[in-house]
This record gives sequence, C-alpha cells and structure tokens, in this order.
Amino acid sequence: MKIDYSLVTRRTFLNTLFGGWVIALLSGSVYALSKFAFPTLGKEPDFVVLKAGDFLNIPINSVKPFAWGGKLGLFFKKDNGSTTALKGICTHMECNVTYKPEDKKFYCACHKGWFDQNGKNIEGPPPKPLEFFDVKVENEKLIIARKGFKVELPKA
Amino acid sequence: MPERGLRLSCRRLKDWVEERYDVEAIRKLATHKLVPVHQYEIWYYTGGIAMFLFILQFITGMVLSFYYIPHFEWAHKSIIEIVTKLNMGWFFRSIHHWGAQLAITVLFIHLFSTLLLKSYRKPREVTWVTGFMLLGISIFFGLSGYLLLWDERAFAAVRVATGGAGNLPFIGGFIKAFLRGGIDVTGDTLTRFYAFHVAILPIVSLLIIGVHVLLVQVHGMSVPLSLEKKPQKTIPFFPNLFYKDLIVWLVVLGIMVTLATFLPPEIGKRADPLAPAPENIKPEWYFLFLFQTLKLFPGEILGLNGETIAIILITCGILFFFLIPFFDRKSSRGEPSPVFTWIGIMYTLYFAVMTVIGFIT
Amino acid sequence: MKRFISTLGFIISSAATALAEEKIEVFPSVSYDQYTIYQNLAIFWIAIIGLIVIIRMKLREIERIQKMGIDKAEKDIPLLD
Repeated sequence: MKIDYSLVTRRTFLNTLFGGWVIALLSGSVYALSKFAFPTLGKEPDFVVLKAGDFLNIPINSVKPFAWGGKLGLFFKKDNGSTTALKGICTHMECNVTYKPEDKKFYCACHKGWFDQNGKNIEGPPPKPLEFFDVKVENEKLIIARKGFKVELPKA
Repeated sequence: MPERGLRLSCRRLKDWVEERYDVEAIRKLATHKLVPVHQYEIWYYTGGIAMFLFILQFITGMVLSFYYIPHFEWAHKSIIEIVTKLNMGWFFRSIHHWGAQLAITVLFIHLFSTLLLKSYRKPREVTWVTGFMLLGISIFFGLSGYLLLWDERAFAAVRVATGGAGNLPFIGGFIKAFLRGGIDVTGDTLTRFYAFHVAILPIVSLLIIGVHVLLVQVHGMSVPLSLEKKPQKTIPFFPNLFYKDLIVWLVVLGIMVTLATFLPPEIGKRADPLAPAPENIKPEWYFLFLFQTLKLFPGEILGLNGETIAIILITCGILFFFLIPFFDRKSSRGEPSPVFTWIGIMYTLYFAVMTVIGFIT
Repeated sequence: MKRFISTLGFIISSAATALAEEKIEVFPSVSYDQYTIYQNLAIFWIAIIGLIVIIRMKLREIERIQKMGIDKAEKDIPLLD
C-alpha cells in the first residue's frame, strides 16, 4: 500500500535516528566505563583453608583470628573444648567484634553490642546473631566454609 | 504511541527551563557565532580536537585514580593490578596513554598552525599567551603522568628532565628541588608529581582553558592576513560547524580506541634508585628536540660550561617564541610580515627535524 | 674458535635470562578474550561510522534548508499571546 504523504517529517526522522544512535553509543561507553569503575574484587570467599596445627592447639575459651577474604574470621575454642569458627563482624554496622573470655561473650565496641557464646545477640543494637561457619579437619588442613557449602578440595 | 509521550515530555521540559531562564539570549549568542570558510579552515579544528582529547583524559584519569596507589612501594604494583586483574583495566590505561600522546601531538600541530597562520597577531595576543601556558602545562601533565608508572625508564627519564631544568642559571637549583621534592628523585617526587598530575594541573588548566576558549569566542576565528581583506564567506557555528566538529571528534575517538587496542603500552621493570640507568634511555618524544639541541653543544665554549650556554640559548629561543605577538609589529598592523613567516617556518622545521633525529639515533 | 663459542654462549644465556624475566601482560593472553576484544572493536567502528553517516545526512539536510533560506526567523511575525 503506497501512501501519499510521509508519516514523519525529514526532521523528525533524522533527529530520532541521530538521538537514538548517540544514546546507544554513549550508553555502551558508559557501561564499559562503569565495569571498570565499579570493582568486583573483594567478594567474600566460600571457604578458606588454613594450617590445622596453627589453630587446633589454642587454649580453651579463646579465639584466634584468621582472614575471611578481607574480613575478620574468628576460630573459637569453647570452654568445653569444642571448636567452631565464626565471622567476627558485628551485624549492626560491620565493626570487628572481640571475645571477652571473662564474660564468655562477644563484644562490639562501636555501639556496645553483646553476643553470647553461640553468637546470639543479647544486648545492644545488633539486630541479628553472628554468622557461624562449618569447620572440618582434613589431614593437616583446617577447612572453614560457609554453612552448607560443599567443599571439594582437589586431590593434591 | 510512546513517541507522542516522549515528545510531550520534551516539550514540558523545554517549557520548564524557558519559564525560569533567559534561553533566548543564549540561543541568540549561539546562532550568531559565524566561522569563516576558506582554504585554511581545516586548521580551525585542531583546538577543538585538543579540548576533546583533554576531556577524555580527565574521564579516564579519574577512573584510573580509583585504583592507582601513589606511593613508591606500591605504585608499580597497583598499575600491574589494574592492567591484569580489573575488568578492562588494560584498556582504560591504554586509552589514557594514547590519549596523552595524541593530545600532545595535536597541541603541537595547533601551536605551529597558529604560528604560521599568524593567528597570534593583534587583537589575539593574550589568546596566544594563554595557549602557550597551556602547552607548558600539558607537557608537565605528560611528564608527571609518565613518572607515576615508576618503572626504570620513567624513573631515569624524570631524573634527566628535572636535572636538565636544574641547569637553568640562578633559578635552576630552586626549580629542581621544587620538582623533585628533595635532592634526588625519590618517593617524595612521586607523591609530588601525583599531586601535580591529579589536583594542581587539572584545576590550573581548567581555569586557563576557560580563559583561552572565552577569548576565542570574544574575538572570533582569526583569518590569515592574505585573505583578511577579501570578502568573507561564513557559515554559522551552530549547527553546521558543531556537527562537523562532532564528526572529526568521532574519527579521533575511533583512532584512539584502535591504537589503544592494538598497541597497549608496556610496563617495564620496577624502578630501583640505586640501579644504573638502563641502556639507550630516551625521554618522551616531545622532549627529544630539546635533548638533541643539548647534544649539539660541546662541553666547553670559551671557558664557560657548554651545557649552561645551551640552556640559556634554548630559554631565549622559547621566550622569544612565547612573546612573538609582541615582536611581530608588522602583522599587528595587519601588514604582511615575511620575516616572521620565515621565523615561524624555521621554528617548525627545527622542532620537526630535531625530533626525528632524536628518534632515529 | 674459543671466542666464537664464548660469544655464542653469552648470547644464548642473555636471551635465556631475558625470557626468564616475567613479561607483564598488558593485553589479555586468552584467545577467547582476544576475539571478544577485536569483535567489540569492529562493532565500535561500525557504530562510529554509522553515526558519522547520520550526521552527514543531517548536515546535508541543514544545508539544503539554509540554501532555501527558510531557516531564518521571519521578522514581524505575529506572536500568539
């Protein structure tokens, strides 16, 4: 079907084509720039592998820090001798917590928050309990993993 | 239809602005700018290209500064991190490198074309002076940025460049200490050059570019003496030249991206202040003409230090160049000035030939 | 003969040490990434050339209008108040 008059003016056609193309080019460039400007590094790991010998022999009722990605992890030996590990980051504003052996509690100095031995938030502003990890010992390796994550080490 | 909605919102946006601001005055200003058309008009584009490249340098520089660490212990490593670990890090560093090379090249083209076309003559003397200052700033941008890599070549090159500046009579020692932040090139130099490169030079250059561009708007585009008296054909800047500028800038962008992709710059070994200078050390290409000139002078002339004499002569040459609008009286009066045409040609040829010789040897 | 062997030995050992030094890769070495990069470069050039063509079309149109002289605002045109 041939129509007698054009549906758009020359001006509209050209301006739309120009504008659309410019937007496409600009957004492509901005996308590339943002991929660079926004970092993807610094994600938390799914598990870490440590030397068992360094951690298993700490005194009871104490903690030993380890690196969980860029954050603080705490290897914890309770007063009954059982071992576990947790993320030493307060659930309120992400400050590092510390263990007070006399009180058998974890303490966050930023806003005076308290957690008990099982990580439950008992006093102060923290809204959620501390995050605990799964601990496994394999040969001479101490494997600390996110809860529920299946760690498969390569047969070295 | 969504198109009608878009057009209505554009209309509404235009109304919102026009109800508050005197858009008519700006529109008048924009449409009244006329650009002469003649056989030399191609040189009019050089300034705009330089500005476009500078804007790109600012953008890529800003994102790179998110990740660069300006401490001599980690500078080199941080660049390796950028290039090997970050998304498209190699690309943006490469663009920043090539953007700098192209910008300085275009600046020299802009410099020599305005020199030979005598655009510096009355009433545009201050435009020339600010432009020359911008050239100095841009070269310092290049030098300071070059050191930030903190590899062997950059380290040695900056040592030579600041040492050369130190040979100026009287003020030389002071300038050398100021640039280096001490007696020798050290981590302090790196921090100082970083401060220049990301804070001091950007602000100063933006101010001077503002003055320079404003003056160009005030005076309009200069027409060569030989064509001045003839009737001028002009075209409006907006929209005609605006779109032509855009086309040229897009081509420049394409060239820069292609160069960045196929020829990413290398990263040399980390600088060691105690190691001997690497073989065949050469400064960046825009310094080559200076160093070739220094090589021409013998160690001693009539009992005086040859290098000091060379530096004095070079300084005089550059000062004369800087003040050429005030020396060229004839062109200020609108008369042909063949002496200064020849001086301009000689400066251009000297720069070109010396740079090429410096390259080959 | 001795000199020849010693110079040859020197050349080989200096070449070996030069290669042993780690060359920092300033361009991705994985061929998959390399093909992606060249492909994107081609797309980028197509986009740029496309935009230049569109701008040329716009310029032609503007020049055509200007030749006709209809782009200047008419003087004394009655305003709708």
